Amino acid sequence: MNESRKKYRPPKWPDKFLEWFCSKDQLEIFRGDVYELYEDRIESGSKLKADFHFLLDIVGLCRPFAVKKTKYNNSNNISMFRNFFKITYRNLLRQKVYSFLNLSGLAIGLACSILIFLYVNDELSYDRFHEKSDRIYRVLEHFESEGNGEHSASQPFPTGPTLQSEYPSEIAQSIRLFNFQSPTLALSNKESDKAFNESRVFFVDSTFLDVFDFELISGNRESALDNPNVILITASMARKYFPEEDPMGKFLELQGRQNLEVVGVLEDSPKNAHFQFDFIISFSSLKQWYNGGYPGSWYWNPCWTYVALNDNVSKEQVESHFPSFVDKFLPDFIKEDVTMELQALTDIHLYSKLDYEIEANSNIDSVYIFGAIAFFVLIIAAINFINLSTARATKRAKEVGVRKSLGSSKSQLIKQYIFESVFLTYLAMVIALLIVAIVLPAFNALTEKSVQFTFLFQPHLLLSLAAIALVVGLLSGFYPAFVLSSFDPILVLKNAHLKTSGLSFRKILVTAQFAISISLIIGTIVAINQLQFLQNKEVGFSQENVLMIPVIRSPMGQHYENFKTAALQSPAIKSMTAVEEIVGAKHQVGNYRFEEMEQSKPFARFNLRHDFAKTFEIPLAAGRDYNQTVQTDDSLALVVNETFVKSMGWGTPEEAIGKRYYFRNELKGRIVGVVQDYNFVSKHHPIAPLVLTLNTRRGAFNLFIKYVAVKIDGSNMKNSIADLNTAWKSVMPNMPFDYFFLDDTLNDSYKAEKKLSNVTVIFSGLTILVACLGLFGLATFSVEQRTKEIGVRKVLGISTPQILMLLSREFLLLIVIAFIVAVPISYLLTKEWLNGFSYRIGLEVWPYAISGLLTFIVAFVTVAYHSLRASSINPVDTLKYE
Amino acid sequence: MKSTQLGEFEELVLLVIGSLKDNAYSISIKEELKEHTKRNPSIGALHSAFNRLEKKGFLKSFEGGATNKRGGRSKRFYQITAHGRKALDHSYELRSALYHTLPQLGLSGE
Repeated sequence: MNESRKKYRPPKWPDKFLEWFCSKDQLEIFRGDVYELYEDRIESGSKLKADFHFLLDIVGLCRPFAVKKTKYNNSNNISMFRNFFKITYRNLLRQKVYSFLNLSGLAIGLACSILIFLYVNDELSYDRFHEKSDRIYRVLEHFESEGNGEHSASQPFPTGPTLQSEYPSEIAQSIRLFNFQSPTLALSNKESDKAFNESRVFFVDSTFLDVFDFELISGNRESALDNPNVILITASMARKYFPEEDPMGKFLELQGRQNLEVVGVLEDSPKNAHFQFDFIISFSSLKQWYNGGYPGSWYWNPCWTYVALNDNVSKEQVESHFPSFVDKFLPDFIKEDVTMELQALTDIHLYSKLDYEIEANSNIDSVYIFGAIAFFVLIIAAINFINLSTARATKRAKEVGVRKSLGSSKSQLIKQYIFESVFLTYLAMVIALLIVAIVLPAFNALTEKSVQFTFLFQPHLLLSLAAIALVVGLLSGFYPAFVLSSFDPILVLKNAHLKTSGLSFRKILVTAQFAISISLIIGTIVAINQLQFLQNKEVGFSQENVLMIPVIRSPMGQHYENFKTAALQSPAIKSMTAVEEIVGAKHQVGNYRFEEMEQSKPFARFNLRHDFAKTFEIPLAAGRDYNQTVQTDDSLALVVNETFVKSMGWGTPEEAIGKRYYFRNELKGRIVGVVQDYNFVSKHHPIAPLVLTLNTRRGAFNLFIKYVAVKIDGSNMKNSIADLNTAWKSVMPNMPFDYFFLDDTLNDSYKAEKKLSNVTVIFSGLTILVACLGLFGLATFSVEQRTKEIGVRKVLGISTPQILMLLSREFLLLIVIAFIVAVPISYLLTKEWLNGFSYRIGLEVWPYAISGLLTFIVAFVTVAYHSLRASSINPVDTLKYE
Repeated sequence: MKSTQLGEFEELVLLVIGSLKDNAYSISIKEELKEHTKRNPSIGALHSAFNRLEKKGFLKSFEGGATNKRGGRSKRFYQITAHGRKALDHSYELRSALYHTLPQLGLSGE
């Protein structure tokens, strides 16, 4: 038996567990019982079974009566918390400056994070409200040859239906969106004489409402778009065109040509969708515009095409068909250059940067950048809290001493201080929510969102806010609580000199804080610089005082020459041309074959009318601009840019003049002019080879000419616009006259960067403010600690500058260290960000110098304030205060 | 006065303790219960019952009788108190009194 006991010992850890939970007076008996039972079982069965029952027995013993009583079981929790509250409250009041610094820092930090959370959340919610959003893809077309061409978000007309009929088992539905590639279309309610140019009009396939979950307020969802000549309008458009009447069954006229019956009213399009609409017209209504059918071209790609895949069909599966699809259907001369791709609907808003997007998208970088900023602001605020609380600790040392003498244990004190910091964080959270409520409208305006404050009132969000506050409170309360509770009561009550424990830890925290602030400032300066660099007007053409008048699909085709002649009568109008797209923002692509080329290739192409170079003040590098007197210019002459010349390997612009190209399969056309390079799209892209082609055909105004561009006299703007209007009315009295200024529109190209730099400016400003609040508090503390020392030094004859030096030295050293840490980090990050731009500023030294200097000065002023105050105190006061 | 109700399991435990006389400690009580009732109560359940009975004043305990088997740890022996005995008597009387009011089984009927 003795032997067996040695061989078979019960497992140790359940025994340990028993010892842990079991009260002392029961432990011996219980242990005896379970060991005795174990021995019995070992004798009659296997060890494994015995071990298992041993464990079961012990777990079974874990009952309320047997569990160790905690020492303070008898204390009254409610009165304890009441006391905590009271102490917290008194401390808040007693040390108003600290409390203010502490709370405001935390509140600002939390408010920033909440705002950014709202922003990021909204960005991530794009296009996710459709039930099928995980199965919907947009079909993309990459059309590229040797770096030239386009990455198109849109497709030829036949792509959608053909895909569906070729792969019916995989593709459930396809939808096309089409808007004539026109920036605006004219709609009018003839009855009440309301006519407007509308920019958010789409022709869509009848499957539109099946695939996308846009709310229909009235009308039949299933059949709404089945017939030609019907239109759905949004609720706000219903109010605009049909105030105080039911729009259903009424008619709207499109472009003065087509009557459309209103068969449904849609909810206004959700803001968090990658395209916004006001009017939805059935696709079959288009047939009227194209002689009863749809354009069959596989080259022209104006339709944004979406497909909804069947369940369990993967993107890759469908994409694997694309090479053979391209081979089967696309025309020979572009087959080689085209690849197709599917893009997830939910990726469009944050990841897509293609040519011909319906609207400019956002990008994921800014989501990351904002998220990082929010995180840093919060960290800085939490560090403040830690620093101020520990700094303040000595002030409360006596309280700790008294509590300890009266029997408080360390864990109780920790509990108290953590409670205090959690409580303060919640208070800060409430203040933060107030701040958010107040600044949200401004923030929305800044970021062009419409996030509602009430959005926060969802159980899971409120819970996570509470959880965040708890975590921040715990994190920032933990260290101070630890420091405070470890004071030796005898020492503190004797008023002995306290070791300023934790100072080195605090120094690390302050350094971290300033490293973050400095990095953010550097980042902000770089972002602002880059924005200014992008926005600077040196784009190679004149964008000031240029009016753009949308004319696509208007009768302007017939009246252009008359209009031009009439307008140029006015001395306030300097020059006029007509163009395909907004100069400096967009272009189309065309295939050209020049001499020495085997096959035609895609090039950036721009249709225009005479006087283009004159209107936009683009200098010619060689040759001539299109000339009104040369009839053949329309088809047998081209103007290209300098990059084009270089890409063809022709030495100089002069050499390019006279080079021939194929027109209708004959080598007949010639290059007649070379313009100097200008940025024909935004500076996000490098300048590519460009072909400028004259297009004087009347029909061109249906597709190839979208705007009339007018250079006016900037000093006489009012007259010039009035004269233009008169000229317009003289040729087309019934069409609304709309215009916009080119430079305004071009500035919009850099919206994303502008938003980013605005937000970073504000938030990095706030971080440095919060960091300085912390520094201010620390400096206050440090001066208070050393009042006696300063008193003694003053008696011994120290001068004010010397005091300044004495007190600010340690803080300024920290900032220098922070600067040294921040520079390489921000260098790497800004370099990474700048690499995303084709036109970018170089990395210069001065942003670093400025941010370092700025932080240094702000910190110095903060500390100096205290030093001066300390130096002005009469040493008699400080030395006798004992 | 605190409730002096006896639960069914408590009553059994009390009876077993009484019948075991001087050798009533947890393991022996457990064995005895197992033998008579075919139930196998866990040691935790037993201690819980002892604890309750002791609180109600039906039991008193003393420690002693360490054995090798228990690793030299002492046992806790239980004894029924007079109060406990009274509670058992009361319970028995109540039951038998009620039992006698049952109609006799058989064909007497009505």
